[in-house]
Amino acid sequence: MAAKDTSNKTGKTGLIFFPAFDWAISPTHPEREERLLYTRDQIFEEGLMDLPEIEEYKPRLATPKDISRVHFCVPNVEAQVTEAHLIAAGSVLTLADAKEEGAIRNGFALVRPPGHHSMMVVHGNRGFCNINNMAIMVEYFRTRYGHKKIAIVDTDVHHGDGTQDIFWHDPDVLFISFHQDGRTLYPGSGFPNEMGGPQALGRTLNIPLPPGTTDEGIHYVLDNFILPVLKDFKPDLVLNSAGQDNHYTDPLANMRFSANGYARLNEKLAPDLCVLEGGYAIETALPYVNTGIIQAMAGLDYSHVREPDYVPGKFVQSAEMKRDIEATIGQLQEIWDNRDRLVEDALAEHGQFYRRRKRIFYDTDMINEGQEETVRLCDRCHGYMTIASQAQKGYGILNSAFCVSLPRNACTSCREDAREEFEEHKEDSKFNYVYLQDKQKDTYHSYETRTRNQRDY
Amino acid sequence: MLIGIDVGGTTTDAVLVEGGRVFRSAYVPTDHDNLLGCLLSALDKLTEGVSPYKIERVVLSTTLITNMIAEGKTDPVALVLIPGPGANPKDYHLGQDVFILDGAIDYRGREIQKLNESQVKSTALELGNIGFKKIAVVGKFGQRNHVHELKAGEIVASVVPGVQVELGHRVSGQLNFPRRAATTRLTVATKDRYREFADQINAALKNRKISAPVFILKADGGTLPLDKSVNMPVETIFSGPAASIMGVMALMPTTQTSVVVDIGGTTTDLALILSGKPLLSSKGARVNSLLTHVRAFAVKSVAIGGDSAVSVNGDCIAVGPHREGPALCMGGPCPTPTDALRVLGMSDIGDAAAAEKAMADIAKRLCCTPKEVAQKVIDAVVDKIVSHVNEMFREWEQEPAYRVWEIVKKEKLLAQNVVGVGGAAQPLVPLVAQMLGAKAVIPEYAPVANAIGAAVARPTLTLNLRIDTERGEYIVAEEGLTGRADRKNMNLEQAEQMARKLMNERANKMGIGEYANEAEVTYSEIFNMVRGWSTVGRLLDVRMEIPAGIIPAWGRC
Repeated sequence: MAAKDTSNKTGKTGLIFFPAFDWAISPTHPEREERLLYTRDQIFEEGLMDLPEIEEYKPRLATPKDISRVHFCVPNVEAQVTEAHLIAAGSVLTLADAKEEGAIRNGFALVRPPGHHSMMVVHGNRGFCNINNMAIMVEYFRTRYGHKKIAIVDTDVHHGDGTQDIFWHDPDVLFISFHQDGRTLYPGSGFPNEMGGPQALGRTLNIPLPPGTTDEGIHYVLDNFILPVLKDFKPDLVLNSAGQDNHYTDPLANMRFSANGYARLNEKLAPDLCVLEGGYAIETALPYVNTGIIQAMAGLDYSHVREPDYVPGKFVQSAEMKRDIEATIGQLQEIWDNRDRLVEDALAEHGQFYRRRKRIFYDTDMINEGQEETVRLCDRCHGYMTIASQAQKGYGILNSAFCVSLPRNACTSCREDAREEFEEHKEDSKFNYVYLQDKQKDTYHSYETRTRNQRDY
Repeated sequence: MLIGIDVGGTTTDAVLVEGGRVFRSAYVPTDHDNLLGCLLSALDKLTEGVSPYKIERVVLSTTLITNMIAEGKTDPVALVLIPGPGANPKDYHLGQDVFILDGAIDYRGREIQKLNESQVKSTALELGNIGFKKIAVVGKFGQRNHVHELKAGEIVASVVPGVQVELGHRVSGQLNFPRRAATTRLTVATKDRYREFADQINAALKNRKISAPVFILKADGGTLPLDKSVNMPVETIFSGPAASIMGVMALMPTTQTSVVVDIGGTTTDLALILSGKPLLSSKGARVNSLLTHVRAFAVKSVAIGGDSAVSVNGDCIAVGPHREGPALCMGGPCPTPTDALRVLGMSDIGDAAAAEKAMADIAKRLCCTPKEVAQKVIDAVVDKIVSHVNEMFREWEQEPAYRVWEIVKKEKLLAQNVVGVGGAAQPLVPLVAQMLGAKAVIPEYAPVANAIGAAVARPTLTLNLRIDTERGEYIVAEEGLTGRADRKNMNLEQAEQMARKLMNERANKMGIGEYANEAEVTYSEIFNMVRGWSTVGRLLDVRMEIPAGIIPAWGRC
């Protein structure tokens, strides 16, 4: 067998285009059938799929197990996902396999529905997302192919709060999100002080940008912070949660990024795989941005991609905005430089367990969730974690769940304790469902306390 | 009586059929430098003693255009593109003589940049000075709005005297600008030569007092009246394999899934008939290195056949891919599968002693018997064919789809029949079928199945209708037809009715009106356009096709 070289520059770009032309959240919702229609027209008319640099793949369906590797779906996977979700998640796995087999150099899953607002526990849809395609790919890469360090750069205009939640305590996953300042946009989070759990401080990096940030501002952040940090972190893989709603015409946000800016970003970032997230300027941005990203990934000339109303120099960054962005980057640079000391200090401060309470709002499904999360700060492994979750819809309790997660490198003591937590809570009538996510053995268990029915994946 | 003549790579086969039977068949060796001559000599051989008044229909296939393209003998064409924003036209690898104009149309058919008429004029002058007599004008999204193509074409025609101009939207209404550009260029590059050929055929038939309608066979297994086909000469490429597949459709009508195996001297052509319908290549035919919009059956040519050279590589026997000449048993230079078949008693072609010697020479080197060698040779051939068949099914299963139901519901198909046509097929087909777990079928008249297919294939025709109710417009690109569509809430059923009416008109214009009722909707989509939170219009696309099929006069289907 020939030596596998996945870093070569001559391989193809894998592309999965799955526009889910027969799936919508509701008929007039931004996440509707029409979303990628004009993108289809543009990339098919360009004949991109025929080019020797590009290989089109057909998606497979993700399995409940693939999803359980990341999520606690309450009550179960089937209740939270449609076939469209399984295909979108299956698309990223298909590309992950192609990448690992050396069939492609890089790849782009141009698929919907998106995923980056989906957190570890899933009671419903929030921010148009049910399951997190990116996180499902990361856990698949690690379980199936043994990758350890992975970097995710979230280039959507919204804070990737779901992805952040999933990898919050994981020091081996670097999560960087730049987005429009949370004080001005959904989901209202993503500030520099959100920087990861005690063992993973500085491995979550949030870069809030002022509304109106231009190509210049975003490329400043990329050149002066993101690229150097990636160089320091030395990940096995760089993945891009490629939202397209920083575009100057996006109806749901207020930034001023261009198609050319997005293409150039992907050229510099050179991600191994890209996954589409949001982007709702379906006519004025998406056809051009997607064409540009595909070309940049395939090493093709993207300089001819231009929105009909765009002229170079259309947006100029003000001096104030420049100072603002530079100050944010200065603050983040300090976090990054001191990350190891931050972890040391936090571990010294917290003792054996770290607890936090969270409130999570599901805007699409109008669900309010309260969580208490507990992580053992173990010195032999990443420590097991439990989440006690209760979801309310209207004035009634929707569901309650107790979730136990074991890390891939779990030590014997954490294994035993986690198992015990799972068994103990099966008898706890406070919870409707009890889960054990055993990433070490790649087995997943869910238990319904009322029926005493257990399911294993 | 119906006449079918298929010009193949080595022989030209002709049949005269009536009432589901072959009344007479004939063949002549193909002379690639004189296609007309060999067509006519096959015709004369076939119709000797037959009254021309009894002939009801004549269908021809021709390799004229395929050969012109393969040999690079097409006429020089300037390709004038109006690409607008998107890819750098250089990345399309459309070859020499590409000229770029300003102007742009978007995916909705809206003008986003004006055509620069003075630039068109100066480009036209330049083309005239260089001496181009044929020009293809193709705009990105020209099929959604052809004003730029029309205007540019008009200016070029007025500036360059005697120039032939072909416009992209008339060639294909489908998405894919580089394929449309390549197809448009090939169309104008072959039109003159094809017209000349068509005129000669018409004259020759007239001389023979044959007044029956004459059709030409296309790559999608359909026919078109010869005089209409002069506008779309490229559609006649790859009609040989199409003829064989149509022959199988005529000889064994079924709704089952079959593999058609046509084993020749150097290559084996494979095609699939899925649940009774021949599989088309998904986006269009590849002609040498050029990707086109020509509808064609998905045919895979595998470099293995009865005359493939057998060689020994260490302990292994290799078959093909090259041919050094006929089989040893036929007086050729080297051992071949044909010799192996002879040794195993699976055929009685050629000299038995020569075949035995061919295998014995190899047997000595491998320390085994000639029969064992022959068996290995045949196994290698069968393995190769079977693995390519499996690959074809796999490729079909892996064809991308863009809707949830298409991905979830796509069934897995298995071959139920392996149908052999062509010379060397007979002894090998049962072996291929066995490995695929399918039934082996050698239809009656298998050696002339191709000519029968030509004789009884019915016309095919495509029409793409697009309606944009927000803009209040509809367009049928291939017809160059546009009009108002005022009903904002038009539904798919209404759009399909409209497409059917337009298809009737198009079929009548093409002289095949009697087949219009066979037209099916092969693709349709409807999208609500929502701006803000309200519906502002609908986009509807309907593709209607008269698919490949057999004329009723064949009397068997």
